[in-house]
Amino acid sequence: MELDELREIHDFLITLAKRAGETITSAKPSTGAAGSKKNSVDLVTETDQAVEKAISTSLKEKYPSFSFMGEETYEPGTRLPPSPTFIVDPIDGTTNFVHGYPYVSISLGLAVNLQPVVGVVYNPFTRTLYSAIAGQGAFMNQSERLPLREPEPMHDLGELQVCVEWGSDRSGNDFHVKAHTFRRLAGSKEEGGAMVHSLRSFGSAALNLCGVASGNLDVYWEAGCWAWDVCAGMAILKEAGGIMVDANPGNWDPSLEGRRYLAVRNGEGQKEIVEQFWSHIQGRFEVGV
Amino acid sequence: MKPKLVDNLSIPELKKICNFLKGVAKAAGKMILAADPSVDGSEEKNNTSDRVTATDKAVEAMIHAELTANYPDFDFLGEESFKAGQKLSKKPTFVVDPIDGTLNFCHGFPNAAVSLALTIRRKPVVGVVYNPFRGDLFYATQGCGAVLQKADGSKKKLGLNPRPISSLNDCLVAVEWGNQRTGPNWQLRTRMAMDFMTAKKDGGRMCHSLRSSGSAALDFCYVAAGWIDVFWEGGCWVWDVAAGWIILLEAGGLVVSANPGDWEPGVEGRLYMGIAAAERQQQESIVEEVWAMMGEGKFVF
Repeated sequence: MELDELREIHDFLITLAKRAGETITSAKPSTGAAGSKKNSVDLVTETDQAVEKAISTSLKEKYPSFSFMGEETYEPGTRLPPSPTFIVDPIDGTTNFVHGYPYVSISLGLAVNLQPVVGVVYNPFTRTLYSAIAGQGAFMNQSERLPLREPEPMHDLGELQVCVEWGSDRSGNDFHVKAHTFRRLAGSKEEGGAMVHSLRSFGSAALNLCGVASGNLDVYWEAGCWAWDVCAGMAILKEAGGIMVDANPGNWDPSLEGRRYLAVRNGEGQKEIVEQFWSHIQGRFEVGV
Repeated sequence: MKPKLVDNLSIPELKKICNFLKGVAKAAGKMILAADPSVDGSEEKNNTSDRVTATDKAVEAMIHAELTANYPDFDFLGEESFKAGQKLSKKPTFVVDPIDGTLNFCHGFPNAAVSLALTIRRKPVVGVVYNPFRGDLFYATQGCGAVLQKADGSKKKLGLNPRPISSLNDCLVAVEWGNQRTGPNWQLRTRMAMDFMTAKKDGGRMCHSLRSSGSAALDFCYVAAGWIDVFWEGGCWVWDVAAGWIILLEAGGLVVSANPGDWEPGVEGRLYMGIAAAERQQQESIVEEVWAMMGEGKFVF
Protein backbone atom coordinates (compact mmCIF):
# COMPACT_ATOMS: atom_id res chain seq x y z
CA MET A 1 0.00 0.00 0.00
CA GLU A 2 1.19 3.54 -0.73
CA LEU A 3 2.48 5.66 2.14
CA ASP A 4 -0.07 8.36 1.36
CA GLU A 5 -2.88 5.89 1.75
CA LEU A 6 -1.41 4.58 5.02
CA ARG A 7 -1.11 8.14 6.33
CA GLU A 8 -4.71 8.85 5.46
CA ILE A 9 -5.80 5.68 7.24
CA HIS A 10 -3.63 6.60 10.26
CA ASP A 11 -5.19 10.06 10.49
CA PHE A 12 -8.69 8.65 10.11
CA LEU A 13 -8.09 6.07 12.84
CA ILE A 14 -6.98 8.85 15.17
CA THR A 15 -10.21 10.75 14.51
CA LEU A 16 -12.22 7.59 15.21
CA ALA A 17 -10.24 6.90 18.38
CA LYS A 18 -10.86 10.37 19.74
CA ARG A 19 -14.54 10.19 18.94
CA ALA A 20 -14.78 6.82 20.67
CA GLY A 21 -12.90 8.34 23.58
CA GLU A 22 -15.70 10.87 24.13
CA THR A 23 -18.25 8.05 24.27
CA ILE A 24 -16.12 6.08 26.69
CA THR A 25 -15.34 8.90 29.10
CA SER A 26 -18.95 9.99 29.28
CA ALA A 27 -20.31 6.51 29.86
CA LYS A 28 -21.19 5.40 33.36
CA PRO A 29 -20.63 1.67 33.33
CA SER A 30 -21.30 -0.46 36.34
CA THR A 31 -20.58 -4.06 37.09
CA GLY A 32 -24.31 -4.50 37.53
CA ALA A 33 -24.93 -3.60 33.92
CA ALA A 34 -21.89 -5.42 32.61
CA GLY A 35 -22.45 -8.75 31.02
CA SER A 36 -19.91 -11.48 31.07
CA LYS A 37 -18.63 -13.64 28.29
CA LYS A 38 -16.87 -16.88 29.05
CA ASN A 39 -16.91 -16.50 32.83
CA SER A 40 -17.77 -14.02 35.59
CA VAL A 41 -14.58 -12.03 35.12
CA ASP A 42 -14.57 -11.74 31.33
CA LEU A 43 -16.62 -8.52 31.21
CA VAL A 44 -18.33 -6.68 28.40
CA THR A 45 -20.51 -3.59 28.49
CA GLU A 46 -22.96 -1.86 26.17
CA THR A 47 -20.30 0.78 25.59
CA ASP A 48 -17.89 -1.83 24.16
CA GLN A 49 -20.58 -2.87 21.71
CA ALA A 50 -21.73 0.64 20.79
CA VAL A 51 -18.19 1.88 20.23
CA GLU A 52 -17.30 -1.07 18.04
CA LYS A 53 -20.43 -0.57 15.98
CA ALA A 54 -19.66 3.12 15.42
CA ILE A 55 -16.09 2.34 14.41
CA SER A 56 -16.91 -0.55 12.09
CA THR A 57 -19.65 1.48 10.40
CA SER A 58 -17.26 4.37 9.73
CA LEU A 59 -14.51 2.07 8.48
CA LYS A 60 -16.79 0.07 6.20
CA GLU A 61 -18.12 3.27 4.71
CA LYS A 62 -14.70 4.74 3.93
CA TYR A 63 -12.84 1.49 3.13
CA PRO A 64 -15.47 -0.93 1.83
CA SER A 65 -12.92 -3.31 0.32
CA PHE A 66 -11.05 -3.80 3.60
CA SER A 67 -11.93 -6.59 6.01
CA PHE A 68 -12.81 -5.94 9.64
CA MET A 69 -12.05 -7.98 12.73
CA GLY A 70 -13.47 -6.60 15.98
CA GLU A 71 -13.64 -8.09 19.44
CA GLU A 72 -17.37 -7.76 19.91
CA THR A 73 -18.35 -9.19 16.54
CA TYR A 74 -15.68 -11.85 16.20
CA GLU A 75 -16.87 -15.28 15.02
CA PRO A 76 -14.80 -17.98 16.71
CA GLY A 77 -12.65 -19.77 14.18
CA THR A 78 -12.30 -16.78 11.83
CA ARG A 79 -8.76 -16.47 10.49
CA LEU A 80 -7.11 -13.21 9.58
CA PRO A 81 -6.98 -12.84 5.78
CA PRO A 82 -3.83 -11.48 4.07
CA SER A 83 -5.85 -8.67 2.49
CA PRO A 84 -5.97 -5.34 4.36
CA THR A 85 -7.89 -5.84 7.59
CA PHE A 86 -8.80 -3.41 10.35
CA ILE A 87 -8.34 -5.12 13.70
CA VAL A 88 -10.19 -3.32 16.47
CA ASP A 89 -10.69 -3.49 20.21
CA PRO A 90 -13.22 -0.80 21.17
CA ILE A 91 -12.29 -0.95 24.87
CA ASP A 92 -9.13 -2.72 25.88
CA GLY A 93 -9.29 -2.92 29.65
CA THR A 94 -13.03 -3.38 30.13
CA THR A 95 -12.51 -4.46 33.76
CA ASN A 96 -10.71 -1.18 34.44
CA PHE A 97 -13.44 0.71 32.59
CA VAL A 98 -16.13 -0.81 34.78
CA HIS A 99 -14.17 0.06 37.94
CA GLY A 100 -13.29 3.57 36.84
CA TYR A 101 -9.56 2.81 36.82
CA PRO A 102 -8.17 5.07 34.09
CA TYR A 103 -5.94 2.58 32.24
CA VAL A 104 -8.21 1.87 29.32
CA SER A 105 -7.64 2.20 25.59
CA ILE A 106 -9.17 2.05 22.15
CA SER A 107 -6.94 -0.08 19.95
CA LEU A 108 -7.19 0.37 16.18
CA GLY A 109 -4.83 -1.46 13.86
CA LEU A 110 -4.46 -2.18 10.18
CA ALA A 111 -2.83 -5.45 9.11
CA VAL A 112 -1.71 -6.29 5.59
CA ASN A 113 -0.31 -9.75 4.79
CA LEU A 114 -0.87 -10.64 8.44
CA GLN A 115 1.50 -7.87 9.60
CA PRO A 116 0.48 -4.75 11.51
CA VAL A 117 1.24 -1.68 9.37
CA VAL A 118 -0.69 1.06 11.14
CA GLY A 119 -1.45 1.27 14.86
CA VAL A 120 -3.38 3.77 16.96
CA VAL A 121 -3.87 3.28 20.71
CA TYR A 122 -5.67 5.97 22.70
CA ASN A 123 -6.32 6.27 26.44
CA PRO A 124 -9.17 8.78 26.63
CA PHE A 125 -8.88 9.17 30.43
CA THR A 126 -5.31 10.40 30.34
CA ARG A 127 -5.67 11.73 26.79
CA THR A 128 -2.56 9.85 25.72
CA LEU A 129 -2.30 8.83 22.08
CA TYR A 130 0.23 6.36 20.70
CA SER A 131 0.53 5.87 16.95
CA ALA A 132 2.71 4.47 14.20
CA ILE A 133 2.88 3.81 10.48
CA ALA A 134 5.27 1.13 9.24
CA GLY A 135 8.57 2.74 8.35
CA GLN A 136 7.61 6.13 9.79
CA GLY A 137 8.42 5.81 13.47
CA ALA A 138 6.22 5.63 16.56
CA PHE A 139 4.96 8.62 18.52
CA MET A 140 3.23 9.66 21.70
CA ASN A 141 0.69 12.43 21.16
CA GLN A 142 1.94 12.70 17.58
CA SER A 143 4.90 14.70 18.81
CA GLU A 144 7.22 12.71 21.03
CA ARG A 145 9.19 10.00 19.33
CA LEU A 146 9.27 6.56 20.96
CA PRO A 147 11.18 5.38 22.87
CA LEU A 148 10.88 8.44 25.10
CA ARG A 149 14.46 8.47 26.24
CA GLU A 150 17.80 6.99 25.22
CA PRO A 151 17.43 3.28 26.02
CA GLU A 152 19.77 1.84 28.63
CA PRO A 153 21.37 -1.47 27.62
CA MET A 154 19.73 -4.56 29.10
CA HIS A 155 22.23 -6.98 30.61
CA ASP A 156 20.13 -9.04 32.95
CA LEU A 157 16.47 -9.68 33.72
CA GLY A 158 17.31 -8.60 37.27
CA GLU A 159 17.46 -4.96 36.10
CA LEU A 160 14.12 -4.99 34.36
CA GLN A 161 10.56 -3.91 34.97
CA VAL A 162 8.38 -6.78 33.71
CA CYS A 163 4.72 -6.39 32.82
CA VAL A 164 2.38 -9.37 33.07
CA GLU A 165 -1.37 -9.92 33.21
CA TRP A 166 -3.26 -12.71 34.91
CA GLY A 167 -6.05 -12.86 32.32
CA SER A 168 -9.55 -14.21 32.57
CA ASP A 169 -8.72 -17.93 32.51
CA ARG A 170 -8.47 -18.87 36.18
CA SER A 171 -7.82 -22.59 36.04
CA GLY A 172 -6.00 -25.05 33.85
CA ASN A 173 -2.58 -25.28 32.33
CA ASP A 174 -2.06 -21.75 31.06
CA PHE A 175 -3.18 -20.10 34.32
CA HIS A 176 -0.66 -22.22 36.21
CA VAL A 177 2.11 -21.49 33.71
CA LYS A 178 1.51 -17.80 34.40
CA ALA A 179 1.27 -18.00 38.19
CA HIS A 180 4.36 -20.17 38.59
CA THR A 181 6.39 -18.13 36.11
CA PHE A 182 5.50 -14.85 37.85
CA ARG A 183 6.83 -16.26 41.09
CA ARG A 184 9.97 -17.45 39.37
CA LEU A 185 10.61 -14.17 37.55
CA ALA A 186 10.37 -12.13 40.73
CA GLY A 187 11.93 -14.67 43.08
CA SER A 188 15.41 -14.35 44.52
CA LYS A 189 18.39 -15.52 42.51
CA GLU A 190 19.49 -17.75 45.38
CA GLU A 191 16.38 -19.81 44.72
CA GLY A 192 16.75 -19.83 40.95
CA GLY A 193 14.58 -16.81 40.29
CA ALA A 194 15.35 -13.87 38.02
CA MET A 195 14.90 -11.20 40.74
CA VAL A 196 13.38 -8.79 38.26
CA HIS A 197 13.12 -5.22 39.56
CA SER A 198 9.37 -5.45 39.61
CA LEU A 199 6.28 -7.12 38.23
CA ARG A 200 3.60 -4.79 37.02
CA SER A 201 -0.01 -5.48 36.04
CA PHE A 202 -2.26 -2.73 34.76
CA GLY A 203 -5.02 -4.37 32.75
CA SER A 204 -4.71 -3.26 29.12
CA ALA A 205 -2.53 -5.22 26.69
CA ALA A 206 -2.54 -2.42 24.14
CA LEU A 207 -1.32 0.15 26.67
CA ASN A 208 1.22 -2.32 28.02
CA LEU A 209 2.71 -2.68 24.53
CA CYS A 210 2.84 1.10 24.28
CA GLY A 211 4.66 1.18 27.63
CA VAL A 212 7.25 -1.21 26.23
CA ALA A 213 7.46 0.90 23.07
CA SER A 214 7.92 3.99 25.25
CA GLY A 215 10.67 2.22 27.18
CA ASN A 216 9.16 2.56 30.65
CA LEU A 217 8.29 -1.11 30.73
CA ASP A 218 11.10 -3.36 29.61
CA VAL A 219 9.25 -6.56 28.82
CA TYR A 220 5.60 -7.60 28.50
CA TRP A 221 4.77 -11.30 28.55
CA GLU A 222 1.27 -12.37 27.68
CA ALA A 223 -0.83 -15.29 26.50
CA GLY A 224 -4.56 -15.63 26.05
CA CYS A 225 -5.32 -12.21 24.65
CA TRP A 226 -6.28 -11.73 21.01
CA ALA A 227 -5.14 -10.10 17.78
CA TRP A 228 -7.31 -7.03 18.47
CA ASP A 229 -5.53 -6.46 21.78
CA VAL A 230 -2.10 -6.39 20.17
CA CYS A 231 -2.28 -5.44 16.48
CA ALA A 232 -2.00 -1.69 16.97
CA GLY A 233 0.46 -2.04 19.85
CA MET A 234 2.71 -4.28 17.77
CA ALA A 235 2.92 -1.71 14.97
CA ILE A 236 3.88 0.92 17.56
CA LEU A 237 6.35 -1.39 19.32
CA LYS A 238 8.16 -2.30 16.12
CA GLU A 239 8.46 1.28 14.99
CA ALA A 240 9.94 2.13 18.39
CA GLY A 241 12.65 -0.49 17.86
CA GLY A 242 11.10 -3.10 20.11
CA ILE A 243 10.72 -6.75 19.18
CA MET A 244 7.93 -9.27 19.57
CA VAL A 245 8.60 -12.99 19.97
CA ASP A 246 6.45 -15.90 21.17
CA ALA A 247 5.46 -16.18 24.82
CA ASN A 248 6.50 -19.83 24.55
CA PRO A 249 10.20 -20.50 24.30
CA GLY A 250 11.88 -20.98 20.97
CA ASN A 251 9.76 -19.11 18.43
CA TRP A 252 11.21 -15.79 17.24
CA ASP A 253 8.42 -15.17 14.76
CA PRO A 254 5.03 -15.21 16.48
CA SER A 255 1.85 -14.90 14.48
CA LEU A 256 -0.33 -11.84 15.01
CA GLU A 257 -3.25 -14.14 15.82
CA GLY A 258 -1.13 -16.57 17.80
CA ARG A 259 -2.37 -15.26 21.16
CA ARG A 260 1.08 -15.64 22.74
CA TYR A 261 3.36 -12.62 22.91
CA LEU A 262 6.61 -11.55 24.49
CA ALA A 263 7.51 -7.93 23.81
CA VAL A 264 10.93 -6.45 24.57
CA ARG A 265 11.80 -2.77 24.34
CA ASN A 266 14.37 -1.08 22.20
CA GLY A 267 17.84 -1.46 23.69
CA GLU A 268 21.06 -3.39 23.47
CA GLY A 269 20.72 -6.97 24.67
CA GLN A 270 17.20 -7.74 23.37
CA LYS A 271 18.02 -11.25 22.16
CA GLU A 272 19.90 -12.23 25.31
CA ILE A 273 16.99 -10.97 27.43
CA VAL A 274 14.57 -13.08 25.38
CA GLU A 275 16.70 -16.19 25.95
CA GLN A 276 16.99 -15.44 29.67
CA PHE A 277 13.25 -14.88 29.92
CA TRP A 278 12.41 -18.07 28.06
CA SER A 279 14.66 -20.02 30.42
CA HIS A 280 12.46 -19.06 33.39
CA ILE A 281 9.09 -20.04 31.93
CA GLN A 282 7.46 -22.82 33.95
CA GLY A 283 5.91 -25.02 31.28
CA ARG A 284 4.36 -24.08 27.94
CA PHE A 285 1.16 -22.28 27.00
CA GLU A 286 -1.45 -24.31 25.16
CA VAL A 287 -3.44 -21.36 23.82
CA GLY A 288 -3.16 -20.21 20.23
CA VAL A 289 -2.92 -21.57 16.75
CA MET B 1 -7.45 32.75 75.23
CA LYS B 2 -6.82 29.94 72.80
CA PRO B 3 -4.49 27.33 74.30
CA LYS B 4 -1.19 27.07 72.48
CA LEU B 5 -1.00 23.29 72.83
CA VAL B 6 0.65 22.18 69.66
CA ASP B 7 -1.15 18.85 69.56
CA ASN B 8 -4.62 20.35 69.75
CA LEU B 9 -4.83 21.74 66.28
CA SER B 10 -8.19 22.98 65.10
CA ILE B 11 -9.72 21.94 61.79
CA PRO B 12 -8.96 25.32 60.17
CA GLU B 13 -5.35 24.96 61.31
CA LEU B 14 -5.19 21.45 59.87
CA LYS B 15 -6.65 22.68 56.59
CA LYS B 16 -3.99 25.36 56.48
CA ILE B 17 -1.36 22.67 56.91
CA CYS B 18 -2.99 20.67 54.11
CA ASN B 19 -2.82 23.66 51.77
CA PHE B 20 0.78 24.22 52.76
CA LEU B 21 1.61 20.56 52.05
CA LYS B 22 -0.06 20.80 48.65
CA GLY B 23 2.33 23.62 47.76
CA VAL B 24 5.31 21.62 48.99
CA ALA B 25 4.13 18.60 47.01
CA LYS B 26 3.90 20.68 43.84
CA ALA B 27 7.43 21.99 44.39
CA ALA B 28 8.64 18.42 44.90
CA GLY B 29 6.80 17.43 41.73
CA LYS B 30 8.70 20.04 39.74
CA MET B 31 12.01 18.67 41.00
CA ILE B 32 10.93 15.14 40.14
CA LEU B 33 9.87 16.07 36.60
CA ALA B 34 13.12 17.95 36.02
CA ALA B 35 15.23 14.97 37.01
CA ASP B 36 16.72 12.63 34.46
CA PRO B 37 16.73 9.34 36.30
CA SER B 38 18.04 6.06 35.05
CA VAL B 39 18.37 2.57 36.45
CA ASP B 40 22.11 2.83 36.14
CA GLY B 41 22.21 6.09 38.06
CA SER B 42 20.34 4.60 41.00
CA GLU B 43 21.79 2.79 43.98
CA GLU B 44 20.77 -0.33 45.85
CA LYS B 45 19.63 -0.27 49.45
CA ASN B 46 18.74 -3.70 50.85
CA ASN B 47 18.86 -5.45 47.49
CA THR B 48 18.69 -4.83 43.73
CA SER B 49 14.96 -4.08 43.85
CA ASP B 50 15.25 -1.64 46.75
CA ARG B 51 16.60 1.47 45.05
CA VAL B 52 17.23 5.12 45.76
CA THR B 53 18.28 7.98 43.53
CA ALA B 54 19.91 11.35 44.03
CA THR B 55 16.50 12.85 43.32
CA ASP B 56 14.86 10.99 46.26
CA LYS B 57 17.49 12.49 48.55
CA ALA B 58 17.38 15.99 47.10
CA VAL B 59 13.59 16.13 47.20
CA GLU B 60 13.50 14.96 50.79
CA ALA B 61 16.09 17.58 51.74
CA MET B 62 13.98 20.32 50.14
CA ILE B 63 10.84 19.09 51.88
CA HIS B 64 12.62 18.83 55.21
CA ALA B 65 13.88 22.40 54.87
CA GLU B 66 10.42 23.76 54.00
CA LEU B 67 8.61 21.88 56.73
CA THR B 68 11.04 22.63 59.52
CA ALA B 69 11.20 26.30 58.53
CA ASN B 70 7.41 26.68 58.70
CA TYR B 71 6.63 24.30 61.56
CA PRO B 72 9.76 24.14 63.70
CA ASP B 73 7.93 22.55 66.63
CA PHE B 74 6.76 19.54 64.66
CA ASP B 75 8.76 16.34 64.32
CA PHE B 76 9.88 14.92 60.97
CA LEU B 77 10.12 11.31 59.75
CA GLY B 78 11.29 10.82 56.16
CA GLU B 79 12.28 7.72 54.25
CA GLU B 80 15.75 8.87 53.31
CA SER B 81 16.68 10.14 56.78
CA PHE B 82 15.02 7.34 58.73
CA LYS B 83 17.15 5.68 61.41
CA ALA B 84 16.44 2.01 62.09
CA GLY B 85 14.23 1.77 65.17
CA GLN B 86 12.96 5.33 64.86
CA LYS B 87 9.37 5.57 66.02
CA LEU B 88 6.62 8.14 65.72
CA SER B 89 6.12 10.27 68.80
CA LYS B 90 2.71 11.55 69.89
CA LYS B 91 3.72 15.03 68.81
CA PRO B 92 2.61 16.36 65.45
CA THR B 93 4.95 14.72 62.99
CA PHE B 94 5.38 15.16 59.25
CA VAL B 95 5.82 11.77 57.61
CA VAL B 96 7.42 12.01 54.19
CA ASP B 97 8.21 9.81 51.21
CA PRO B 98 9.88 11.99 48.57
CA ILE B 99 9.28 9.46 45.79
CA ASP B 100 7.00 6.50 46.37
CA GLY B 101 7.52 4.24 43.37
CA THR B 102 11.25 4.82 42.89
CA LEU B 103 11.52 1.85 40.53
CA ASN B 104 8.85 3.32 38.27
CA PHE B 105 10.66 6.64 38.48
CA CYS B 106 13.99 5.08 37.43
CA HIS B 107 12.36 3.29 34.53
CA GLY B 108 10.33 6.30 33.45
CA PHE B 109 6.93 4.79 34.19
CA PRO B 110 4.53 7.59 35.18
CA ASN B 111 3.12 6.04 38.38
CA ALA B 112 5.15 7.54 41.22
CA ALA B 113 4.26 10.15 43.82
CA VAL B 114 5.46 12.37 46.63
CA SER B 115 3.62 11.49 49.85
CA LEU B 116 3.29 14.00 52.71
CA ALA B 117 1.34 13.37 55.90
CA LEU B 118 0.85 14.90 59.32
CA THR B 119 0.29 12.53 62.22
CA ILE B 120 -0.84 13.52 65.71
CA ARG B 121 -0.72 10.95 68.48
CA ARG B 122 0.45 8.51 65.80
CA LYS B 123 -2.64 8.91 63.67
CA PRO B 124 -2.63 10.51 60.22
CA VAL B 125 -4.77 13.66 60.19
CA VAL B 126 -3.64 15.34 56.98
CA GLY B 127 -2.46 13.63 53.80
CA VAL B 128 -1.27 14.78 50.38
CA VAL B 129 -0.17 12.45 47.57
CA TYR B 130 0.92 14.01 44.29
CA ASN B 131 1.82 12.18 41.06
CA PRO B 132 3.51 14.86 38.97
CA PHE B 133 3.60 12.65 35.86
CA ARG B 134 -0.18 12.53 35.65
CA GLY B 135 -0.85 15.72 37.55
CA ASP B 136 -3.09 13.85 40.02
CA LEU B 137 -3.21 15.49 43.46
CA PHE B 138 -5.00 13.50 46.17
CA TYR B 139 -5.52 15.14 49.55
CA ALA B 140 -7.53 15.00 52.75
CA THR B 141 -7.86 16.68 56.11
CA GLN B 142 -9.53 14.88 59.00
CA GLY B 143 -13.24 15.65 59.04
CA CYS B 144 -13.20 17.39 55.65
CA GLY B 145 -13.42 14.61 53.11
CA ALA B 146 -10.95 13.52 50.42
CA VAL B 147 -10.38 15.15 47.05
CA LEU B 148 -8.73 14.32 43.73
CA GLN B 149 -7.57 17.43 41.91
CA LYS B 150 -6.51 16.77 38.33
CA ALA B 151 -4.05 18.53 36.05
CA ASP B 152 -6.81 20.62 34.49
CA GLY B 153 -7.70 21.99 37.94
CA SER B 154 -10.97 20.07 38.25
CA LYS B 155 -11.71 18.70 41.72
CA LYS B 156 -13.66 15.62 42.62
CA LYS B 157 -14.75 14.65 46.11
CA LEU B 158 -13.94 10.96 46.63
CA GLY B 159 -16.15 8.19 47.93
CA LEU B 160 -19.49 9.84 47.18
CA ASN B 161 -21.08 7.10 45.10
CA PRO B 162 -19.64 3.80 46.22
CA ARG B 163 -20.60 0.74 44.25
CA PRO B 164 -21.87 -2.20 46.26
CA ILE B 165 -19.33 -4.98 46.77
CA SER B 166 -20.70 -8.27 47.98
CA SER B 167 -17.63 -10.48 47.73
CA LEU B 168 -14.09 -10.65 46.39
CA ASN B 169 -15.58 -12.06 43.17
CA ASP B 170 -16.72 -8.48 42.38
CA CYS B 171 -13.47 -6.83 43.39
CA LEU B 172 -10.47 -5.34 41.65
CA VAL B 173 -7.58 -6.03 44.02
CA ALA B 174 -4.21 -4.30 44.28
CA VAL B 175 -1.16 -6.18 45.52
CA GLU B 176 2.52 -5.43 45.18
CA TRP B 177 5.44 -7.85 44.96
CA GLY B 178 7.75 -5.95 47.30
CA ASN B 179 11.48 -6.36 47.41
CA GLN B 180 11.66 -9.30 49.80
CA ARG B 181 11.64 -12.19 47.31
CA THR B 182 12.38 -15.18 49.50
CA GLY B 183 11.21 -16.61 52.81
CA PRO B 184 7.82 -17.02 54.48
CA ASN B 185 6.54 -13.48 53.73
CA TRP B 186 7.31 -14.03 50.03
CA GLN B 187 5.60 -17.44 50.08
CA LEU B 188 2.51 -15.89 51.67
CA ARG B 189 2.38 -13.02 49.23
CA THR B 190 2.72 -15.16 46.11
CA ARG B 191 0.25 -17.74 47.38
CA MET B 192 -2.32 -15.04 48.15
CA ALA B 193 -1.91 -13.43 44.72
CA MET B 194 -2.73 -16.75 43.10
CA ASP B 195 -5.60 -17.48 45.49
CA PHE B 196 -7.21 -14.08 44.79
CA MET B 197 -7.32 -14.96 41.12
CA THR B 198 -7.96 -18.71 41.06
CA ALA B 199 -11.33 -20.08 40.01
CA LYS B 200 -13.74 -20.80 42.83
CA LYS B 201 -13.98 -24.44 41.80
CA ASP B 202 -10.27 -24.71 42.57
CA GLY B 203 -10.57 -22.98 45.93
CA GLY B 204 -9.80 -19.42 44.86
CA ARG B 205 -11.75 -16.18 45.20
CA MET B 206 -11.93 -15.40 41.47
CA CYS B 207 -11.67 -11.66 41.95
CA HIS B 208 -12.12 -9.43 38.90
CA SER B 209 -8.40 -8.95 38.55
CA LEU B 210 -5.15 -8.02 40.24
CA ARG B 211 -3.31 -4.76 39.72
CA SER B 212 0.30 -4.08 40.66
CA SER B 213 1.17 -0.48 39.98
CA GLY B 214 4.33 0.01 42.03
CA SER B 215 3.34 2.72 44.50
CA ALA B 216 1.62 1.95 47.81
CA ALA B 217 0.71 5.61 48.32
CA LEU B 218 -1.06 5.71 44.98
CA ASP B 219 -2.66 2.29 45.58
CA PHE B 220 -4.27 3.74 48.74
CA CYS B 221 -5.46 6.73 46.71
CA TYR B 222 -6.88 4.51 43.98
CA VAL B 223 -8.90 2.68 46.65
CA ALA B 224 -10.05 6.07 47.95
CA ALA B 225 -11.12 6.95 44.41
CA GLY B 226 -13.03 3.67 44.16
CA TRP B 227 -10.97 2.51 41.16
CA ILE B 228 -9.58 -0.37 43.21
CA ASP B 229 -11.69 -2.15 45.84
CA VAL B 230 -9.04 -3.79 48.02
CA PHE B 231 -5.35 -3.12 48.63
CA TRP B 232 -3.63 -5.83 50.64
CA GLU B 233 -0.03 -5.17 51.56
CA GLY B 234 2.63 -6.08 54.07
CA GLY B 235 6.18 -4.83 54.27
CA CYS B 236 5.98 -1.26 53.11
CA TRP B 237 6.59 1.52 55.61
CA VAL B 238 4.80 4.31 57.48
CA TRP B 239 6.02 6.93 54.98
CA ASP B 240 4.46 4.97 52.09
CA VAL B 241 1.01 4.90 53.64
CA ALA B 242 0.48 7.69 56.17
CA ALA B 243 -0.97 10.14 53.65
CA GLY B 244 -2.94 7.54 51.68
CA TRP B 245 -4.38 6.26 54.97
CA ILE B 246 -6.18 9.48 55.89
CA ILE B 247 -7.19 10.06 52.26
CA LEU B 248 -8.84 6.63 52.20
CA LEU B 249 -10.56 7.07 55.57
CA GLU B 250 -11.91 10.46 54.55
CA ALA B 251 -13.27 8.88 51.36
CA GLY B 252 -15.30 6.46 53.48
CA GLY B 253 -12.83 3.61 53.21
CA LEU B 254 -11.71 1.20 55.88
CA VAL B 255 -8.12 0.46 56.92
CA VAL B 256 -7.36 -2.74 58.80
CA SER B 257 -4.31 -4.93 59.15
CA ALA B 258 -3.08 -7.21 56.38
CA ASN B 259 -2.89 -9.88 59.08
CA PRO B 260 -6.03 -11.60 60.33
CA GLY B 261 -7.89 -10.31 63.32
CA ASP B 262 -6.50 -6.81 63.75
CA TRP B 263 -9.15 -4.16 63.07
CA GLU B 264 -7.07 -1.33 64.56
CA PRO B 265 -3.65 -1.47 62.94
CA GLY B 266 -1.02 1.10 63.80
CA VAL B 267 0.21 3.30 60.98
CA GLU B 268 3.80 2.11 61.58
CA GLY B 269 2.83 -1.57 61.70
CA ARG B 270 3.82 -2.32 58.09
CA LEU B 271 0.63 -4.37 57.69
CA TYR B 272 -2.18 -2.75 55.76
CA MET B 273 -5.42 -3.58 54.04
CA GLY B 274 -7.50 -0.81 52.55
CA ILE B 275 -11.11 -1.33 51.51
CA ALA B 276 -13.04 1.10 49.30
CA ALA B 277 -16.07 3.02 50.52
CA ALA B 278 -19.16 0.84 50.81
CA GLU B 279 -21.64 -0.05 53.52
CA ARG B 280 -19.68 -1.00 56.64
CA GLN B 281 -21.13 -4.50 56.58
CA GLN B 282 -19.90 -5.07 53.02
CA GLN B 283 -16.46 -3.75 53.87
CA GLU B 284 -16.21 -6.00 56.92
CA SER B 285 -17.35 -9.00 54.94
CA ILE B 286 -14.58 -8.42 52.38
CA VAL B 287 -12.02 -8.09 55.19
CA GLU B 288 -13.19 -11.38 56.71
CA GLU B 289 -13.00 -13.04 53.30
CA VAL B 290 -9.39 -11.95 52.78
CA TRP B 291 -8.37 -12.95 56.30
CA ALA B 292 -10.00 -16.35 55.84
CA MET B 293 -7.93 -16.86 52.68
CA MET B 294 -4.79 -16.49 54.76
CA GLY B 295 -5.56 -19.49 56.94
CA GLU B 296 -2.72 -19.81 59.42
CA GLY B 297 -0.51 -17.55 57.35
CA LYS B 298 0.54 -14.08 58.40
CA PHE B 299 3.24 -11.57 57.58
CA VAL B 300 6.07 -11.17 60.05
CA PHE B 301 8.28 -8.11 59.65
